[in-house]
Amino acid sequence: MIRTLLTAVGLIIVLALTLACFGVAVGPGLRLLTEGAFGDKFAIARTLVKATPLLLTALGMTVAWKTGVYNIGGEGQYIVGAVLAAAVGKLLLPTPPGPIWTVLMLIAAITGGAGYATLAGWLYVRRGVEIVISTILLNFIAIQILGWAVEGPLKERAGQVPQTDSIPDSAMLAKFDRQMDLHAGVVLALVAAVAVYLLMYRTRIGFLMRVTGDNRRAARANQIPADRLQVVAMAISGGLCGLAGGVQYLGIVGRLGTTFPEQWGFLGIPVALLGGLHPLGVIPAAVYFGALFAGSDQLSRFTPAGTSLVYVIQAVAVLGFVAMSTVKWRRRKSDGRAESNS
Amino acid sequence: MSNPDGESLRVHSATKRFGSLVALNRISTEFLPGQIHAVLGENGAGKSTLMNLLAGFLTADGGEILLGKTPIPQGDPIACRKLGIEMIHQHFMLVPAFTVEENLALNRLPNLRAPLRISDLIQTSLTAARGLDWNVSKTSRAGDLPVGAQQKLEILKALGGDARVLIFDEPTAVLAPDEVDELFSVLRRLRDGGAIVILIAHKLSEVFAVADHVTVLRRGEFIGTSPIKEISSEKLARWMVGEFPAAQEILLGELGPPVATADKISIHGDRGQLAIRDISFQIKAGEIVGFGGVEGNGQDELSEALAGLRPANGSLTLPADCHRIGYIPQDRQADGLALGLSIEENLLIKGVERPDLVRRGWLQLGAIHRWAAALVEKFAVKTESPRSLVGSLSGGNQQKVVVARELDANPELLVVVNPTRGLDIRSTQFVHDSIRQAAKSGTAVALFSTDLDELQALASSTFFLSRGELVTGNSAETYLGAGA
Repeated sequence: MIRTLLTAVGLIIVLALTLACFGVAVGPGLRLLTEGAFGDKFAIARTLVKATPLLLTALGMTVAWKTGVYNIGGEGQYIVGAVLAAAVGKLLLPTPPGPIWTVLMLIAAITGGAGYATLAGWLYVRRGVEIVISTILLNFIAIQILGWAVEGPLKERAGQVPQTDSIPDSAMLAKFDRQMDLHAGVVLALVAAVAVYLLMYRTRIGFLMRVTGDNRRAARANQIPADRLQVVAMAISGGLCGLAGGVQYLGIVGRLGTTFPEQWGFLGIPVALLGGLHPLGVIPAAVYFGALFAGSDQLSRFTPAGTSLVYVIQAVAVLGFVAMSTVKWRRRKSDGRAESNS
Repeated sequence: MSNPDGESLRVHSATKRFGSLVALNRISTEFLPGQIHAVLGENGAGKSTLMNLLAGFLTADGGEILLGKTPIPQGDPIACRKLGIEMIHQHFMLVPAFTVEENLALNRLPNLRAPLRISDLIQTSLTAARGLDWNVSKTSRAGDLPVGAQQKLEILKALGGDARVLIFDEPTAVLAPDEVDELFSVLRRLRDGGAIVILIAHKLSEVFAVADHVTVLRRGEFIGTSPIKEISSEKLARWMVGEFPAAQEILLGELGPPVATADKISIHGDRGQLAIRDISFQIKAGEIVGFGGVEGNGQDELSEALAGLRPANGSLTLPADCHRIGYIPQDRQADGLALGLSIEENLLIKGVERPDLVRRGWLQLGAIHRWAAALVEKFAVKTESPRSLVGSLSGGNQQKVVVARELDANPELLVVVNPTRGLDIRSTQFVHDSIRQAAKSGTAVALFSTDLDELQALASSTFFLSRGELVTGNSAETYLGAGA
């Protein structure tokens, strides 16, 4: 509780310092940011729309990292999920569009992301290929897959532009208000957060995943199938990132082009770290970053600071996490030493 | 590797403390040129501390060390090396990605600014290699070499200067038996060249095979020194372990059917070496069978095989359900506990198999809280709450968590490895009682321990492991594996 409060205060101080470094007056700057993020219902909708893919990818990171597999491939899984959703959308063309399209395409997105991540998980447990390396490289391959798909099999029927056809409105995620971007994906993301929480903290398999993530050797010594659990964790992690891609595709853009990747997969990492790698902790973390994105649009209209502000804050969050882990690790190590001397 | 002056290395009343622990208490001895001098002792006897003093890695708190008439520069390993004192470490100090040539040069780098002429720097080492009839492939990567060859490389590194004193820190620990014979012939050649050769050992057989002189340490104290020809293995064994504890009558209840049966099993270690050869034994329900002997004789591999974690060749029959095997590993922090999780969660690692705590894959939190609180109380784990991090507990209480977890699962077979290492007397007593209690209620126990007192206190029969084979008997000599 106290730690959460300290984190919140720390983040505001960091924000103020960053604004000052950009040469923006701190008071008015914070006011512009807050207005842009929470000023009216449109601002709040913008914040939530930005927070939705962040929450989903951050949940994906949480599942994998808690199980000791450091998935850096959220971006690739996000892209492949969306591409598979688009492919299913193309297959569905002969049928009348409707909510059943949405459901099938979201399932395709989850499957795509899960399959793509499982590939890295399998390479790790069977061939010893480091997850960090394989998932980073798979990100680049995913970008190529997207480029190939929109140039080739998924290219729009009419024009020359490398992009897919637009999804009919009736197959898009439902919107709460015609004037706003806010779509049903935000509900999906919140449900996913609760589901991941239940999985990790209330079920046997989630518990064994956390044991594996904390100490793989102890898991092995207790007959826990660590390899299998880590592959499962990668699949779930990829599925969540794929779902993020599907939600962005069916909730906002409606068509895939080469500009579709917007780094949401990468941004899930700092959000997950800021949320303490806890499925419920990442909800406020995602909203915080969502608010920064929404607010910084407003800020950039009046001041020299813009979206780059968000990246600075992110970097601080990651560095803060690394520093905290180092402190913990040192403490654990010095405890161990004190004991072996006694 | 010459020592023309025939100067000896003398240790005079050396003392070394680490905090309140006296690792060496006023040790005096003399190492002569042209001799292989073994320093013998059990784990924790102070052998390594003494060697680290000689090689300059540590500074003594009292006493002096003289090479000829000059005191050695204590605490300055580089200056000691310039004097001709070289140490061959048990864990190789090689850069695996470097070539043989580069590794040989590593010890001899003049300074950072000087131009690097590897071929000049390694001349002496190469001459030494020719003297020993070793073929050296200068461009192989050190990491690609087999262990025996890596050790040769370590030795050549040491011979790259004007080595007068060569200290070998348990050099046989990593070697296969035929590699050991080859190492011994190298030691003899170095001795015949006039060097002072110091060999740290804890196996009697090796000392008798190669040493000319032996000094024994026990718990930091100097026990005795003698030419090898004038001492019997019985006497040396007694020097090492002191009085052998008398066997106690272990009262056994009714023994049940055999729970674990090994029939001519062999087990490979991590390096692929044969760690256990062709052994047979049986453990019955209600029985505690001890496995003793000096570390590194196959205990790790055998205990892992019994715990169902390592494959064995031959016929090894274990309880069919792997969750009915309890395992208390030697290193509780590395293998026993998830330090980032709570006490309750660490108990639950085995508890998830209980039907009252997990229903259809869902954790029953209320039942788990009550169960964990009861276990914490029953096993007297000192903590504010079962939901505190297990990493915040003291070593003894951490071990209690492991013991509580494994015994609560009511195992058919319990594999225990050095369960009281590093624990205080009360915790030790508690762990011992728990193990006895488990046996009384019908668990078959395999107790691996390097502590003779522990084996005598708990085991109804004890095997000793020596080079991967079982030896029975009840004397210090069996324990030390002199018969092997």
